[in-house]
Amino acid sequence: MLMTFPQMGHVEQLIGDILERLDIDYMPPPRTTAKTLALGTKHAPEFSCLPLKLNIGNFIEAMEAGADTLLMAGGKGPCRFGYYAELEGRVLRDAGYDFTMVTIEPPSMGIAKFVRPIKRISGKSTRQIWRALKEGFPKARGFDMLEKRVLETRCFELKLGETTKAHKEAMATLVKAKTPAEVEGAIEAGMRLIDAVPCDREQPVLKIGIVGEFFILLEPFVNFDIEEWLGNRGVLVSRSVYITDWIGPTSKNPVAGTSDAELTELARPYLGHFVGGEGVPSVAHTMLYANEGFDGVVHMFPFTCMPDTIAKAIIPRVSRDYDIPVIHFTIDEQTGKAGVVTRLEAFVDLLVSRRRAKRAVNG
Amino acid sequence: MQGFLGVDVGSVSTNLAMLDADGGVISYVYLRTQGQPIMAVQQGLMELEAKLDGSVDVIGVGTTGSARYLTSVVVGGDIVKNEITAHAVAAGHVVPGVRVVLEIGGQDSKIIFLRDGIVVDFAMNTVCAAGTGSFLDHQSARLGIPIEDFGRYALGAEKGALIAGRCSVFAESDMVHKQQVGYKLEEIIYGLCQALVRNYLNNLAKGRDLAGPIAFQGGVAANAGMKKAFEEAINQEVQVPEHFSVMGAIGAALLAKEEKLLEPGPSAFKGFGAAKIDYRTSSFACGGCENNCEIIKIVVDDETLARWGGRCGKWEVDIIRRQHLEPIGADCSKCG
Amino acid sequence: MTDGFKVGYPQALLYYKYFPLWETFFNRLGVEVVLSGPTNKALLNLGTVEAENELCLPVKVFYGHLLALADKVDAIFIPRMVSVEKSAYTCPKFMGLPDMARATETRLPPIMDPTINWKLGWRQYVKTIIELGSQFTDNKAKILGAYHAGVQSLHQYQDKIRAGATPIDIIESKEAPRAGVADLRIGLAGHPYNIYDKYISMNLIKRLREMGTDVVTAEMIPHSELEKESQTLPKHLFWTFEREVVGTVFHWSRRNSVDGIIYVLAFPCGPDSLIQSLLEHEMRRERSTVPMMSLVIDEHSAEGGFLTRIEAFVDMLSRKKKLAGRVAN
Repeated sequence: MLMTFPQMGHVEQLIGDILERLDIDYMPPPRTTAKTLALGTKHAPEFSCLPLKLNIGNFIEAMEAGADTLLMAGGKGPCRFGYYAELEGRVLRDAGYDFTMVTIEPPSMGIAKFVRPIKRISGKSTRQIWRALKEGFPKARGFDMLEKRVLETRCFELKLGETTKAHKEAMATLVKAKTPAEVEGAIEAGMRLIDAVPCDREQPVLKIGIVGEFFILLEPFVNFDIEEWLGNRGVLVSRSVYITDWIGPTSKNPVAGTSDAELTELARPYLGHFVGGEGVPSVAHTMLYANEGFDGVVHMFPFTCMPDTIAKAIIPRVSRDYDIPVIHFTIDEQTGKAGVVTRLEAFVDLLVSRRRAKRAVNG
Repeated sequence: MQGFLGVDVGSVSTNLAMLDADGGVISYVYLRTQGQPIMAVQQGLMELEAKLDGSVDVIGVGTTGSARYLTSVVVGGDIVKNEITAHAVAAGHVVPGVRVVLEIGGQDSKIIFLRDGIVVDFAMNTVCAAGTGSFLDHQSARLGIPIEDFGRYALGAEKGALIAGRCSVFAESDMVHKQQVGYKLEEIIYGLCQALVRNYLNNLAKGRDLAGPIAFQGGVAANAGMKKAFEEAINQEVQVPEHFSVMGAIGAALLAKEEKLLEPGPSAFKGFGAAKIDYRTSSFACGGCENNCEIIKIVVDDETLARWGGRCGKWEVDIIRRQHLEPIGADCSKCG
Repeated sequence: MTDGFKVGYPQALLYYKYFPLWETFFNRLGVEVVLSGPTNKALLNLGTVEAENELCLPVKVFYGHLLALADKVDAIFIPRMVSVEKSAYTCPKFMGLPDMARATETRLPPIMDPTINWKLGWRQYVKTIIELGSQFTDNKAKILGAYHAGVQSLHQYQDKIRAGATPIDIIESKEAPRAGVADLRIGLAGHPYNIYDKYISMNLIKRLREMGTDVVTAEMIPHSELEKESQTLPKHLFWTFEREVVGTVFHWSRRNSVDGIIYVLAFPCGPDSLIQSLLEHEMRRERSTVPMMSLVIDEHSAEGGFLTRIEAFVDMLSRKKKLAGRVAN
């Protein structure tokens, strides 16, 4: 058995670590490229969202390289993602592939449903699985925390690319760490490495928050490396979602800083009920960024995504009430980098002149 | 006389504008890009040089348009700006108190909202052809009527034929249907203008306040039928600036002027002789990661001037810069 | 406060499923219910101009109905339909509908948005109903009585549909056509607001009948039957209305009880796009011999192309039937 899973941001390091702890042989798919997208678009239903298309592309590329077992997350709705494993399995079988599909349902659908497939595939006991997750989670969280620190640093760096370099080094060290002590040490060392990047922290910077759908925000291939792009232009970037906030029982101490319950409460005047996916978080984080004095918000999500389309219908009102500019990007396989970059440049210009005008007024 | 040069190179047209120190237009050139941006820029430089006849000393250059980075390398630019900002700056300069800029080009279209000269909101359509000039170009070819004559025909109609469909393909079949049931050519052409206006507004102006003054610019503004259709649709006067077709270039020149204010010093302009430099472009596969991006490089006499085209931006280091967050001209230690 | 109080009811989306219930409920409480009227071109245009471009067609249509009610009523009734059963949701769009309505550019009257969520159990549901009715009377028994009468109206409506009438027939007080007289029987699958809205569906039911076919829909099949069929999927489908579509199509295809199926879906409906490819896969796997055609409708849909496709499909079905008859004889 050789297991594989879809690519998304640093999920490769995260899942890889857990699978190693469970002694499961795995092979991550090749990193997502234009070829992956072409494969996915060819096989997936036309109006499915971009993440599904890329999942399928990843799986095909991994199977061609020898993988035979596909790991996928499930869900209980109302976002379509919860049924994607079902659909992907069918699409791939129709395309003539032979494989075993392992779907991990969220623990909220019942611990048994969550643990059973892992037991079957790894031959481990519930106790051993629990331990692997318990030890793997702080490491996964470490990847998120490093990323967050990078976002807060890049805009101040004196030499372009230094933060990215430090981030890569920090990641490599953390990937190798296994025991709780090693993990803790690697996270601390990584933070020090990033903090050691020569910076001019005194210089004024623009602040932009990024909200929207999980996959698009985490996968640089589909968001056109927006975090690095903005950071390179001296913009401090804050991202509203992190992988471990999504998968883990961390609502007490989320990497992004705000728990689901707080977000739900905050969004209530504009969106009074959860609508699946990142519908409520997108609205709530836009309000939070405005409250925290950010200059603007970028809202990104895949075309046909239901929860974030609802958010898009509501955010313009938030933007007006809170006086914070928001730019929306709906991403599909036809979205080109040139169009995104032109609009981002203009958005940064807009924020710069707003800041200048405010300074001129406030003296 | 000292002057600022603005160059706007889009996928359809290439425009150059020379502005005097007060921002007045000294001269301009408008030509087709025809898929060869370098050749178009060089051709434009030659034509502009001939018009100016040595009377202007270029002290700042700005470039804009989809080929803005390439163009900056070719002519020697002091500032590279996106076309949304360039159009807004130009409109703000030419139309006093402008609040809305409607811009329709051949391949894309945009709407920009300003308050007190500052861009407060914008939207850009790069995907749907039904909201761009190519919509009319396409139907002009189908009808066998040159696009230049569309305005005359459109103004000859009492009212337009209602052409349904918010997509070029559907609009086309509906247009054929309207021809078959006997609508006059004038009514059909004005109907097409109305359809373009409807699509444009629906795509870009949704939920936004269209209070004037309103400027309408871009190549499509040459069509008087479009101005009329806009005015009917939003029930307000729409102004077409004198140099509507080269507003991007004017904006780029104004931005160059501003840049020289922020960063005084000699211009990077290569001179009109740049028209005769033998620029060559070639491409190679990056190989730095799995994406294996195609990188384009521009070379003169074996010397590589610039490279770009990768996803990650590692070949484009020279264009990245910090933002000027302080008010221009303010007494401030940070901006010198 | 009930004197002359008018509640606006948008004649769109779940109107076709639940209207008799709420109409009776409000009327019993002395509240007048004002409908936005059938969808037409003007309403659709209003909706597409106001609504976010990327929303699906039926929600854009809903926006049009909202605007049509804007200056005619004291409040608009938009229940937040989270779930109508324990184990599934409706659709995310329904869950956020009152909020989307509040975010419109056009100012609307106050929105009454009780949260209908059966996942929270019947006690919470009763509380919600009483809260809703309390705006008009303090008499709890009267509120519950009104609700009970509403449920009876709904059942009568559902019985009529089961007997072969479509919601359009009932709304227009027409006799249901006698079933079983035509040569061809067509199963029409899809959301009620897509197939019963005459404007959205371009009068599909009438046109099919004019072509000499019997039209059957999900509402004519006992609900328990649909449920049983849809439960054959390995993973429980967590959208109620999609489960109905799946159950309906399985019911027809596994029994061979229709000559062909037309599945009407709106662009870009999230759940429908998933269900469409799921159904296509399952029918292929089960070697179903019932032909199914998917019809995607959006605001660009041109009547010409739409008609051609339906005609071609019906022609194909009737030729298939004739040929089969000849072989059998």
